[in-house]
Amino acid sequence: MLLRVPAAVALLAFVPASAPAADPLADVCEKVNGKLVKVFGAGGFSRLNNFATGVLVSPDGHVLTAAGPLLDTADLAVHLYDGRRMKAEVLAVEPYLDMAVLRIKVEGKKNGDPTGLDLPYFDFATAAARPPAKPADWVLGFTNQYEIALRDEPLSAQRGVIAALAKLSGRQGVFDFPYTGDVYVVDAITNNPGAAGGALTDRSGNLLGVIGRELKNTQTNTFINYAIPVAAKVSVTVRVKADGKDEDKTLNLSLPEFVAKGMKGEYKAVQGERPLLGEGGWTGIVFVPNVLARTPAYIEGVVPDSPAAKAGLKPDDLVSFIDGEPVGSITAVQEYLRARTRPGDKVRLEVRRGEGLQSVEIVLGTPPPRVAPAPPPEPKKWYNRARGFTPGRRRYRPGRR
Amino acid sequence: MIGVRVTAVYDAERGGLAASTTAPACTQTVTEQPLRSEARGSCETRGEGGRTVRTPFWAATLALLALSVATPVRGQDGLDVNGANEEAMRAAAAKAAPSVVKIETAGGLEVVGGGKKGPGGQPGVARGTGPTTGVVVDPDGYVITSSFNFANKPTDIFVTVPGRPDRLVAKVIAADQTRMLTLLKVDAKELPLPAVFPKAEAKVGQWGLALGRTLDPDVNHLPSVSAGIVSATGRLWGKALQTDAKVSPTNYGGPLLAIDGRVLGVLVPASTRSEGETAGFEWYDSGIGFAIPLEDVLAKLPALKQGKDLRRGLLGVNPKDSDAYTAKPVVGAVGPDSAAARAGVKVGDTIVSIDGKPTPNFSTVQHVLGPKYEGDAVTIKVLRDGKELEFPNIALLGTQTAYVNPFLGILPLRDDPGPGVPVRYVYPDSPAAAAGVKEGDRVMKVGTGKNLAAVKNLPQLATAMAQFPPGTEVSVELKRKEGDKTETMTTKLATVPDAVPGKLPMPSSAGKAGEGRPKPKAKGGLLPKKGKDEPEEKAEKPETGFLKRADEALGREYWLYVPDSYDPSISHGLIVWFHPAGQGGKDGEGMAAAFKEFCESHHFILMGPKSANPEGWAASETELIVQDVRKVLGRYAIDPARVVAHGLGNGGQMAFYLGFNARDVFRGVAAVGSVLGTAPKENVANQPLAFFVAAGDKDPLLKDVVLSKDALVERRFPVVYREVKEAGKEYLDAATFEVLLNWLDSLDRL
Repeated sequence: MLLRVPAAVALLAFVPASAPAADPLADVCEKVNGKLVKVFGAGGFSRLNNFATGVLVSPDGHVLTAAGPLLDTADLAVHLYDGRRMKAEVLAVEPYLDMAVLRIKVEGKKNGDPTGLDLPYFDFATAAARPPAKPADWVLGFTNQYEIALRDEPLSAQRGVIAALAKLSGRQGVFDFPYTGDVYVVDAITNNPGAAGGALTDRSGNLLGVIGRELKNTQTNTFINYAIPVAAKVSVTVRVKADGKDEDKTLNLSLPEFVAKGMKGEYKAVQGERPLLGEGGWTGIVFVPNVLARTPAYIEGVVPDSPAAKAGLKPDDLVSFIDGEPVGSITAVQEYLRARTRPGDKVRLEVRRGEGLQSVEIVLGTPPPRVAPAPPPEPKKWYNRARGFTPGRRRYRPGRR
Repeated sequence: MIGVRVTAVYDAERGGLAASTTAPACTQTVTEQPLRSEARGSCETRGEGGRTVRTPFWAATLALLALSVATPVRGQDGLDVNGANEEAMRAAAAKAAPSVVKIETAGGLEVVGGGKKGPGGQPGVARGTGPTTGVVVDPDGYVITSSFNFANKPTDIFVTVPGRPDRLVAKVIAADQTRMLTLLKVDAKELPLPAVFPKAEAKVGQWGLALGRTLDPDVNHLPSVSAGIVSATGRLWGKALQTDAKVSPTNYGGPLLAIDGRVLGVLVPASTRSEGETAGFEWYDSGIGFAIPLEDVLAKLPALKQGKDLRRGLLGVNPKDSDAYTAKPVVGAVGPDSAAARAGVKVGDTIVSIDGKPTPNFSTVQHVLGPKYEGDAVTIKVLRDGKELEFPNIALLGTQTAYVNPFLGILPLRDDPGPGVPVRYVYPDSPAAAAGVKEGDRVMKVGTGKNLAAVKNLPQLATAMAQFPPGTEVSVELKRKEGDKTETMTTKLATVPDAVPGKLPMPSSAGKAGEGRPKPKAKGGLLPKKGKDEPEEKAEKPETGFLKRADEALGREYWLYVPDSYDPSISHGLIVWFHPAGQGGKDGEGMAAAFKEFCESHHFILMGPKSANPEGWAASETELIVQDVRKVLGRYAIDPARVVAHGLGNGGQMAFYLGFNARDVFRGVAAVGSVLGTAPKENVANQPLAFFVAAGDKDPLLKDVVLSKDALVERRFPVVYREVKEAGKEYLDAATFEVLLNWLDSLDRL
C-alpha cells in the first residue's frame, strides 16, 4: 500500500520546523569557519600559489595545513575569521604525510610561550578517535580556493558526499605523490588552487580530514578531489646509515602523532633517502617482446629451475595480478617486482590460462649473474666513446622521481 | 515491527528531497514516540532515543525519515533532514552494491579516442590503469558496462563480483553502439540482479546516485558514491537520462540509483556533438553526466546476447534546409538503397509524422529516429504534391550506402539563360566524350530510357544529374553546335576522376547572369536602405580591389579581394581563405597577389577572415565566419556552386570543419598540409562537397594528411590529392597551384 501525502500537507509539516536558520548546515558552516584560517606565504609566480588554507588545532593558535613551498618564507601570515592578520611560523613539516604544523605568533610573546589567543579550534585527538566516514556520508569542504576569501570573509563552503575511503594513487605532473595512505575521495570539486590545508567535515561540523592538493588520479587519469583523513597512517621505508652501513628501515607515521608532537615542537621529520630500487625479486619468467606501451604480460618461456618453473608457470600464461594488484602490462609486472619485492619474498601470482585464472605462489629468487657481454671494441673515435656503455651497469632509479 | 513495503515510499513523483521532507507514507505500525508532525498521516514509527534500529538497513532509513520531519535538530549530530537523506543514500548504495561489479583489464592502448588538436579536434584520452565498473543484468553471468572501459582495446578482461572470492575471466559478447554499452559474460550463476527503476517514472529533480568500483579495490566495501539529482530525461534524442552527480571514469559503467536503491540507468560518457565510446569524456565531473535507462538496456538484452553489435537504425534522408528547428522537414536527399529509398520516399517530400508523432521540423524527426535500432520499423507519413502518403513499417537499416557523385564529364558554360545548358568543355575519356558530346553543344533534355525531362538551366541540370548513381545509363538530348540538329545520346555515368583537367577553354561564362534569374540582392548586412527613387544600377556597382572589412560590434575583421574585372552579369566563384596559425590579417595582400591573375580571368573573389585567436582557429568561430561569407554572397554576383573554403595548416583544418558544418554554403574544400579534426560526415546528393587535399612530402603531418584523405575517399567524396615534392609546411608550388586553380574552375563539372 502506498499513501501519497499531498504536497501542501508536506509543506505545512515542514514550516514549523523551518523557523529562522532552519537549515542545520548554516549553523555548522558558521561554526567551522571560526576554526579555520587563510594562510599566505611564498610564491605567487609560475603556478605556485602563495595562498592556502589552515585548520586551527589548538586554542593557542596551532594551525595544521598542507606541506608545500609556500611555507618556505619568514613572512608567513594567517588571516583569522575575526579579521585579524597574524604572523605565523612553521613548527613541523612531514612530506610523507604532506602536512605541516604552524603556530601563530603574537607580538610581545616569546616563542614557546602561551599566546593567550583562546581561539575556537578542532580537538584533533578527539576527531581522530571517531570512526571513519563511509561512502555516501554527507560532507562539507571549507577552503580558500582561488583566494576568494580574505580577512574576516568566510571560506568557500562546498557540499558533497564521501565517494570512497581508499588508497591515493595520485600523481603530480610526472611525479608519484609522496603521501601513500588512505584518503577520503569526495564528489565535490574541492581541490583547486589554494584549497590545500582546508577542512573536510561531516554534516555536523566534525573534522574528518584535511583537504589536499590538485592531483591527477593515476587510475583514471582524471583530477581527484581528496582529503587526508584525521587518523591517517602511512608506513615509509627509508634507507638510513647504521654503523656505517646502509639499512632499510620501515617507519610508521600517523597524523595524530604528528600533530601532537608538532604542536610541542618535538616532531622530527623522517630522515634518510627513500631506498633506491634495485632489480627486485626474480621470477625466471621470460615475457614476450615488450613492444607496445601496454604489452600484455604473456609468458614466452620460463628459465629452467627458476621460481616460475617450480611454480608450474607455462608459456602463454598471462600474468594478470600480483598479490591481488592488477598488472596490466609487462612493464607493470616489472615495475611491481622492482619496486615492491626483494629476493626471498613470497608473492602470489594470478595467471590467466585458457578461460580461467590460476593462482600460484612463488618465492622470488636472486637474478642469476649476467653473462658479461664481450667488451666493446676499443673506442677509436670520440662518438664511439660517447655512445659506449659500461658492461654490468646496474640501473638505479631514484626513489623520489 | 517495520514493514517491508516501505521501499515504495520513494516514488518518482516526489523523489529526492521531497520524499525526505514529507512524512513518507509509512506502513510501520509500532508506536512509542508518536510523531508531532502534521504530515504523519496514518503513520507512526518507533524510535530508540532518537535513533532507530539499524536493521534492516533500508527500513531503518525510512524510520529515520519519518523522525526527521518530526524533530529536526539543528547543528547537532542528531536527526535532521540532511541526516535522513544521508541515511537514505547510504542505504540505497548498500542495496545496489551486490550487483555492482569491478572490471579489470590487461593490455591495450595508452591513449584512446580523439585525434587532432585544432578546430573540431578532440584531444586523445589517456586511459587510466584503474579498474572500472559494471552492473549485473542477468543472473547467468551477464554484466553490462560502458564501452569507454574497453576503448583502449584490452586483450583480457576480468570481473570481480561482490561476495565472491575469485576474479572471473570475462568475454565481450556484444556492444550497443547507439548507447555506448558493452555486454560481458562471465562463467557464474545466480548473480544478484539490481531492482529496476521504471523509466517512465524517472523525474527531473529526484535524487541520483552514481556508483563506481574504481576507487576502493575491495568489492565487499560499498562502491564509491557521488550524489546528485536527475537533471533531465529523454536526453541525447531520447536515449539517456542526465544527472549532475559526478560522472567520470571512476563510475562509467556503474549504476545511477534512485534514492530507493533501484537502478535508473547505466553511466556512460556521452555527448550531443559527437559519437563514439570516448565522446563526452571531456565533461567528466562537470555536473553533466549521462545514464542509459536500465529498462532500455534490459529490453535489448536478448538481442545483445546473440553476440551481434547493435547499431543505429538509419532512415537515409537528409533535410533540404540546414535549419533543423523552424523549417519544415522537406527531404533534400535520399540515400541510395537506404530504408527511405526502398520504401519510396522521394526528394521533395515533406515528412508529416513518424509513428504517429507529428514532425514539424527536422529536429523532431531526429528525436523520433534517434533512439531507433537497425531493424526497428517506423511508419512515415509524407506530404507529396499536396497529398498525404503513408509508408508503413519501413525497416531501418544499420548501414548507409554512401552517396557517390555521378560523372558525365562536361563543364557547363555558366550564366546562360537557357533553355538548355551549353557545354564549355568535355573531359577526355569521360562518358560524355564516349557518347560524342562536343564543346558548344547544348544539353536540352536529360533522363533515363525514354523518360527525358527538359533542362531549363544549369541549376536544374545539376539537380537532375545528382539523382543518378554512377553506372546509370542516361540519355542526353543535345542541340548540336553546328546546325540546329538535335540528337539523343546514351551513356553510362562514371565516378568523378582524381584527374583535374589541364587548360580549360575560355570564356567560362556567357555573361548573362542577370537574365532569367533574380538579381543578387544585398542582405544580412547593415547597409543603409536605398531610397526608392535611386536607380538600382548604382547600388549594384560594388567596390573592387583589395578591401578591408570590419565589424566593430563583433570585433571581427576580414579582407576581400574583388578583381577589377568584376562584372555583375558574370557569376563569380568565392574562395574563402583561412590563414595558418599566427598569420591572421598578415597574409591577405600576398594571397590576393597570388590569385590576382586567376581571379581576373576566371571570375573569382577571394576573402580572408581573421581568427579571433592568433594561435589559430576555433570551431566556435563557424557561426560568425558564415555570417561574413553570407554578407559577401549577398553583395556580389556569386555562383553558389563554386564557394570554396581554402586553408593552410591549421587554417585548412578550419576549412575542413566549415565544409562539413556549413554545408549549405560551401561546395569545395581545398586544404594544404591539414588534418581532419573530426570524422567526415557522409556525402549527400543535395549538398555536394568536393575536396582538394595537398601536403608537402616532407611535412611531418604527411601521414595524417594521407589518413584524412583516405577517410574522405572512404566516404566517397570526390577527392583530388597532390603531394608537393621537396616541401614541408609551406604553401603550394607553382605546378600544384596550377592544379588547384583548374580544380577551382572545374568545381561545377557534371
